[in-house]
Amino acid sequence: MTTILLVDDEKLVLRSLEKTLLRAGYDVLTANDCQSGLETFKDNTESVDLAIFDLNMPGFDGLPKPGAGLDLLDRVVETKPGIPTVILTAYDEVAKAKEAVNLGARAYFVKGREQGLVELIEDILKK
Amino acid sequence: MKAHQATGVDRYAALIDTSARVSRSIASILDLELLLNRTVDLICDEFGFYYSGVFLVDEVGDYAVLTTGHGEAGKAMLDEGHKLHIGGNSMIGAAIANKSGCIALDVGKEAVHFKNPHLPQTRSEMALPLIVADEVIGALTVQSEKEAAFKDEDIIVLQTMADQLAVAIKNARLNNENRSLLEQTKRRAVLLNTANRVGKEVTSELDLDRLLPKMVDTIVDAYGFYYAGIFLVDESGIWAELKAGYGEAGKTMLDRGHKLQVGGDSMIGTCIHQNKARIALDVGEERVHFKNPCLPGTRSEMALPLPFGEKVLGAVTVQSEKEAAFSEDDITSLQTMADLLAVAINNAYTLNALKEAHEELLRTKIYEALTVATTEAIHWIGNKALPISMTVDRMKLDLTDDIPKAESLREDLELIVESADMIMQVKEQLIGQAREQRPRPTLLGDVIHAAARHRGVNNIHIDVSSESAYVLADSTQLARAFGNLLQNSAEANAKTISIKARPAGKNNMVRIIIHDDGAGMTEEVLDTAWTPFYTTKAGHNGLGLPAALHVISQLMGQIKIDSRSGKGTTIEILLPQAFPTRGAVGASPVISLVDDDDIWANFFTGAVKTARRASKPDINADLILIDEFYSGFEAAIEAIHQSGVSRKTIVITAALDVDRMTNLLRSGIDVRLKPYSETEILSLWKE
Repeated sequence: MTTILLVDDEKLVLRSLEKTLLRAGYDVLTANDCQSGLETFKDNTESVDLAIFDLNMPGFDGLPKPGAGLDLLDRVVETKPGIPTVILTAYDEVAKAKEAVNLGARAYFVKGREQGLVELIEDILKK
Repeated sequence: MKAHQATGVDRYAALIDTSARVSRSIASILDLELLLNRTVDLICDEFGFYYSGVFLVDEVGDYAVLTTGHGEAGKAMLDEGHKLHIGGNSMIGAAIANKSGCIALDVGKEAVHFKNPHLPQTRSEMALPLIVADEVIGALTVQSEKEAAFKDEDIIVLQTMADQLAVAIKNARLNNENRSLLEQTKRRAVLLNTANRVGKEVTSELDLDRLLPKMVDTIVDAYGFYYAGIFLVDESGIWAELKAGYGEAGKTMLDRGHKLQVGGDSMIGTCIHQNKARIALDVGEERVHFKNPCLPGTRSEMALPLPFGEKVLGAVTVQSEKEAAFSEDDITSLQTMADLLAVAINNAYTLNALKEAHEELLRTKIYEALTVATTEAIHWIGNKALPISMTVDRMKLDLTDDIPKAESLREDLELIVESADMIMQVKEQLIGQAREQRPRPTLLGDVIHAAARHRGVNNIHIDVSSESAYVLADSTQLARAFGNLLQNSAEANAKTISIKARPAGKNNMVRIIIHDDGAGMTEEVLDTAWTPFYTTKAGHNGLGLPAALHVISQLMGQIKIDSRSGKGTTIEILLPQAFPTRGAVGASPVISLVDDDDIWANFFTGAVKTARRASKPDINADLILIDEFYSGFEAAIEAIHQSGVSRKTIVITAALDVDRMTNLLRSGIDVRLKPYSETEILSLWKE
């Protein structure tokens, strides 16, 4: 079974996405900041097939940090090179999207087209 | 008998005597006109001559000009501007040219006598030169109706008198020159003073609408001119527009939008075009003078350029009702003033350009802020609405299942409700700050205390000095602003929050410093701290700081924030100081005050002698007051309901909240804003 790690500090978004992914048939691990996200990933490095990170959330020091999701992405890719990752954001900023892709993210997904997210995950996993 | 009518020795003695008397009489007269008039009158009256007159040599030295003449004949000749050519046919002309007196005993026979129709009865005439230090300054004519009226010795006696007269004329002239030098010195002092005043004005006034009218008034008053005006070249460089004009004429021309073409025929136009002063001492003769119907009295006009570097910014016009009115001193001092004025005008232009640039920048910044705020708002609302649409889609799918999972559906509904609530909370933050403020003297410490209690922030230390006790504010809005700031500190995990208020030392403001030892902000977060909807915290709307800024600004206050990541946050607020009416309230009902022992309770019990504070309501009191943020509030309200005394109970609060109020009002308990002054206290039971 495919396992997805989902990290977002918005409680309602996290739960809703979790339920959507569960319904789509995935196993879902959740965390709500960089530190707990990395810890969950390290505890399940082998089983996590894909990771989804919110862009803006508390960083590794626990303080709110714009772009903190990219820091987590960096650490995760470092631990498991080649792992497919998706960055979630409320902002469709080209510069941030490029930065995410340069760091190894497969996609930069703007929240709001949730069914598209499931299709996107399916696409990434097929490849 | 007159002197010259006697005969022999007597006659000679009488002549000498009379001559001496005349000389004495005129010697001390320093006014030239008076001196000459007195001389001719004395000669005719004392000697009994028919006519006497004084001629003075003109500046060129060609003519002897009649300056004084006795009687009607003299007046008529003066009116005609009677003058005789020096060296010509006349006796006067000959006497001056030859520097010696001459006599014509029968004028009909004398070759050099000029037949004068105003003096038809003259039969004898004597012309005596007026000589001082070998210089002939004029001549004296003495005429008699008798033939052979003068003898040779008469010339000697009268020439002596003429010599005395010449000296007296010289003295009077010197006196005139001295007086005019004195006048000139006085005027120079006035001009110097004026230049000094203008110098001060141009350096202290940058508003041209005020500076230019002041300048024309100063010029006209100091120099005693008829009119002064200032023209400035317009943006096209084609027209010089009148910007300030003296008196009614100036007002009329300003109303008409008076302007002159640069380089045109007017003195102003030429002066600006050539960057050179133009002076017309008799405007009738000046080709470039612009005939102005508003200034019909102008006889002299001067146009001075207002140069700055290579440019001419405009010109000053000064006009006088006198011909040849401008002295060298006037021209020099006015041009100096014009130069100073040009610098001031250029400074004002620079300031205006700066202001325009600033306004442009402000417009750009406002547009930028609006764009950022709108974008943030859209994203924020989108983000909060996201779980709703996502959940609805999922629920639709779930409902197509054979056996929908009730538990999951219930959770989904909760997700929708929670997301919708988040969006609805924004409404109060947005509308709340837009509400009209009603500033009043407000007890600062009490409002901060109420804000902290309302937001459940406990670890605060409030230090408000007695001079800073009151600020002018709407207590509800101020509590909202402080609430937002304290909540931020609490959410940044501050262990302590200290609030200190002291007079700001200027403009009657109070400086409030809020310092917390929480997480602080990074530079990046700090840069966007005031942006609405920008937030780094989950479950927040990013309106806390912008709302506080809005409230403080509306109260004519200021707020700034300083923060470092890991070092805590310091917020500085300036609010206008207030001075409420003080003193004890007079006759009052017995009041039971249910409140903690806090700043407001102390203020109230100090002002109302019949008030007693307790932790439980005294149901026998005439009026029961309960502080909304009293630590035992719920229990106190319960006691009121059980005792059935809600009608004489008022809940008082520093910050009105409709939701909280509604419940109390429904149970019959009134809710009012806390009184902070004597007048407000009285309204508790008088309304």
